[in-house]
Amino acid sequence: MEKVCVLGAGSTKYGKLEDSITDITLQASVDAIESAGIESKDIKAGYISNVFGVADKQVHLGPVVMSNLGISDRPSLSIESACGSGSVSFREAYANVAAGFYDVALVAGVEKVTHTGTEWTTTYFSYCSDFFYEGQSGVSFPGLFASMARAYMNEFKATEEDFAQVAVKNHDNGLLNPKAHLRKKITVDDVMSSAVVASPLKLYDCCPFSDGASSVILCNEKFAKDHGANYIEVMGSGRGGSSAALQGREHLTTIPSTKIAAEAAFKMAGITPKDVDFAEVHDCFTIAEIVDIEDLGFFEKGKGVEAVREGQTKLNGQISINSSGGLKSKGHPIGATGVGQIVEVFDQLTGKAGERTVKNAKIGLTQNFGATGASCAVHIFQSV
Amino acid sequence: MTEKKNFIEHAKDGKILSHKCINCGYLSLATVYFCKKCGKRGFDDFVLDGQGKVGTYTIMTVPPTGFEKYTPYAWVIINLDNSDLRISGFLPNIQKSGDLPIGAAVKVVGFDDRGIVLKKL
Repeated sequence: MEKVCVLGAGSTKYGKLEDSITDITLQASVDAIESAGIESKDIKAGYISNVFGVADKQVHLGPVVMSNLGISDRPSLSIESACGSGSVSFREAYANVAAGFYDVALVAGVEKVTHTGTEWTTTYFSYCSDFFYEGQSGVSFPGLFASMARAYMNEFKATEEDFAQVAVKNHDNGLLNPKAHLRKKITVDDVMSSAVVASPLKLYDCCPFSDGASSVILCNEKFAKDHGANYIEVMGSGRGGSSAALQGREHLTTIPSTKIAAEAAFKMAGITPKDVDFAEVHDCFTIAEIVDIEDLGFFEKGKGVEAVREGQTKLNGQISINSSGGLKSKGHPIGATGVGQIVEVFDQLTGKAGERTVKNAKIGLTQNFGATGASCAVHIFQSV
Repeated sequence: MTEKKNFIEHAKDGKILSHKCINCGYLSLATVYFCKKCGKRGFDDFVLDGQGKVGTYTIMTVPPTGFEKYTPYAWVIINLDNSDLRISGFLPNIQKSGDLPIGAAVKVVGFDDRGIVLKKL
């Protein structure tokens, strides 16, 4: 297997965007190509992740993106894996570059849904659940994670105020990220007094629906050495699955796919969770971040909530979690999110993270899942 | 009749249709085609009373399309009595968390365009 590197990265701002789904994908991709210092013709294949292209009248995005980059003859794959689409897209590109099929590949993720409104998004996003058992019976994604939150509160004596701390921290980080969707400081009281969406989760426990696109350029090590001054290496890549419906899981306070993916990624990288300096994790809801940092092995089961209380996951705490602001503050354009996490790791490890720089960071991890973690991918990167 | 249709017919009668693996005895909901434990295909029907205890739940106040008229309502995961299986469903007329403590007894009372419908006992 070839060693794989990330040579360049680009992202639009996340939020409510005016431009079309195609145009924002191209903006992020052109930025990634320029950041890599290559030309589009160097790209041999494209991996384009998106979930609700139908909302902006464009599915089969792969060939549309490739055509507008002037490389219409190159193969592309359009990928949907719910909120985990971006990292799955990265994984497919990684596997193909590692296998030697291509020396350079583009990964682009995008979502454009804010123009549809909350009712449309709540309803259509619920189709990402195991619809027969979940969406059909009136539960939304906030509702599914609220069910996990209540189980966690019952098992580990956590409080709603504890969950609120995650939102406060991620908003603090997002304030330092010019591309974040929700750039405002909030307090625990703000979270506690926000409208209940699905008890015990309130509006400020939830990430926003966002538009946005993120892209990265992957290549083999030889190409990186020949072309790039600033690149990072992929140390590990892991994927895993869980029962699609929450009811099929042995425990309601853990996400099995994260554990499986993390174990594979750590094994490939030859490191342990203690070696990781910072991580971008899937905090679609505040409870999710607590479950994630336990499932990834950064904290013991049931202790993630203490870590949050003690500030261990703040920027430049014991382990910086979601320096970008996470899904909560940076935003969650679902097809782009997994790629956006890798953009953050690239920026951190190549000295482009500005005010939110994680000091002396050498190793970063990303964890991105689909639905309630029915599918998950974990990647580990190091600076060169 | 597909297994899913058969499952729905049982749920309408307040029952949960499960499958017991002929090879290893592991119990799954009837909508599964291969045994999760041993990987074999081949099951005996095993009908459970759709009764159990609340494992966890949420009270929905921002509903998906079609559920506005029921809001607020609960969505509940129950641990079925006399098995390790869980089932989730829609439970109307729940206003606040005190109405539905974890461990409360709940049963399946039907299946319609709201999926599995539950009732607090």
